[in-house]
Amino acid sequence: MALELNRVLPEVDLLSANAAERLAELSARLPSARAGLVEIGSADAALRARVQTALGMRWAGAIPTEEPVDASYPCPSAPARFDVLAADGSQIYPDRHGIALYYLINTGSIAFRHGSGQAPDCRTEPRLHYADADLYEEDGGQIPSFKIDADRDLAELGELVQLAGEQVATPTVALIDNGLLLYITLQSPNRGYADAIVEGYLAHLDALKAAGANPAGVVDRPRAASVVRLLRLAELGADQINDQALRDLGPYRHMTDGLLFADLAPGHRSALFEHGSPANQDSYKPRGHSIYLFYVRSGDTLLRVEVPAWVAQNPDRLDFVHAAIVKQGELTGGFPYVLMRAHEIAVVTHAERRLLDEALHTALIRRGLSPSISQKQQGKAWTSSAKQKYG
Amino acid sequence: MIGRLMRSATTGYVFGCNLPEPDVPRFGDFVRVPAQRGRIDVIGLVYDIVVQDDAFVRPLVAAGDLPEEYILDQRRNRQVPVEVSVLAVGYRLNEPDGDRSGYIQGLPPQPPVTLDVIAACTRDEIAAFTERLDFLRLVLEAPDAPGEELAVVALQRASAARLVNDRALFLREAGRQVARLLPRDLPRLERILRRLAL
Repeated sequence: MALELNRVLPEVDLLSANAAERLAELSARLPSARAGLVEIGSADAALRARVQTALGMRWAGAIPTEEPVDASYPCPSAPARFDVLAADGSQIYPDRHGIALYYLINTGSIAFRHGSGQAPDCRTEPRLHYADADLYEEDGGQIPSFKIDADRDLAELGELVQLAGEQVATPTVALIDNGLLLYITLQSPNRGYADAIVEGYLAHLDALKAAGANPAGVVDRPRAASVVRLLRLAELGADQINDQALRDLGPYRHMTDGLLFADLAPGHRSALFEHGSPANQDSYKPRGHSIYLFYVRSGDTLLRVEVPAWVAQNPDRLDFVHAAIVKQGELTGGFPYVLMRAHEIAVVTHAERRLLDEALHTALIRRGLSPSISQKQQGKAWTSSAKQKYG
Repeated sequence: MIGRLMRSATTGYVFGCNLPEPDVPRFGDFVRVPAQRGRIDVIGLVYDIVVQDDAFVRPLVAAGDLPEEYILDQRRNRQVPVEVSVLAVGYRLNEPDGDRSGYIQGLPPQPPVTLDVIAACTRDEIAAFTERLDFLRLVLEAPDAPGEELAVVALQRASAARLVNDRALFLREAGRQVARLLPRDLPRLERILRRLAL
């Protein structure tokens, strides 16, 4: 039995009506939100005091910098010759119904030399994990997927370190297709594990800084509400700040920074903000890598860009990252070309996974083993192949 | 190696390759691929080379002034999907059986298998395979391939694989064979003979 589309279609219609209604509602509130940004302008001492109070309550909003929060900056011109490095990763999660337990992380990277007339260098770095220490937790449970994701994130930044080498020769931006703050800090109940991953990540940022590269995390279609949280905070009286009030976005509920900055002019970036997230304040900032963010209109796309403090606080580096990202998106609708390519290089297709499993199957047989997938997996193979052939 | 097999049938196969080099593969080239676990090599003629649609390339195509780095990345680094269609016209027995020739002109007993390696035939292999010209029937009767054009180019390649002094004789014999195969299609026969400069 396939999906009975006719039974879902009425709800699809309701879903679209709901989305349109929500957008209309948000759009109606948008002018007052933007007016709120204008009203804040350059953050005054009172707002900064409120931000400090909120940070003490582990508030994850955007911290204003010296730039007026409603400011918009045109795209600087990019140098005639510069390098863009990019890395992305993909993974195969462990499958307990498969013929053997393993997971794979495949990192793809590209070094693109603008203005050189040379073909970019591309490479992949596959890593197969099958040792007990890789696959099992201390309590004997299987490694959770968020740890594999963190391992992949670490590998991506590590690949950029490899590409940058000891010292870059030309202005270089090093991009990843994600924010620079690791999700593991939010997901892992095991603080020690998260700390170890973050420590490795910060060491990579140290290396990129030493090499003279400019790392930046790029997020397409950003859903964060960091600046929206700042807006809300600005409306609260000093005596109204508490956990409950900080969680409640009030009139800005469901609003995102993406919506707030949707009217940025082509190529322009928003003001720069410091990331208020506890992970940033607790782990990144003490090591000199506090993460800053801005939004930029690149082609048809609004991107959120995250950079470490030593890029954010250096106007030349910040201008270069801004210009390089916009330049990289000129031919691809705004999203950097190199990130599209890094994804393409890294992704493990279904066909490739099948070939890997076939090679594994053969190797196990050579060892005198009788590999087999679970009956449940077999059933899925039978039923899905029948659909492909006859459905 | 010029590519790996994507799909096959007794009558022909399709292989994928990187962007074509100037010399291989070309329309009318003789190629071979192992089948029956290496017991035979299926000999075929390239009759179509298709650069598949690629969504990633579309925005680049629309760009006016495309920097060289993008062009080189697309051409050298990306797996541009190029599909090459081959008409099976015979096979080579890799374990010669008694007094049978090493080459058989006709459809192979089994098609090759996915990911098998396709290689261009050498001059010697082309010359040996075209000692007989029965394969022209398969070419001229091929429902999907441009048989007339393919026969002309294949015969020119086969001629070029021979010593200079032998070429004219080979083409004359080829012309006679085509005339035997097309006794009632004089316009088509005339076009082929004219292209062969006979």
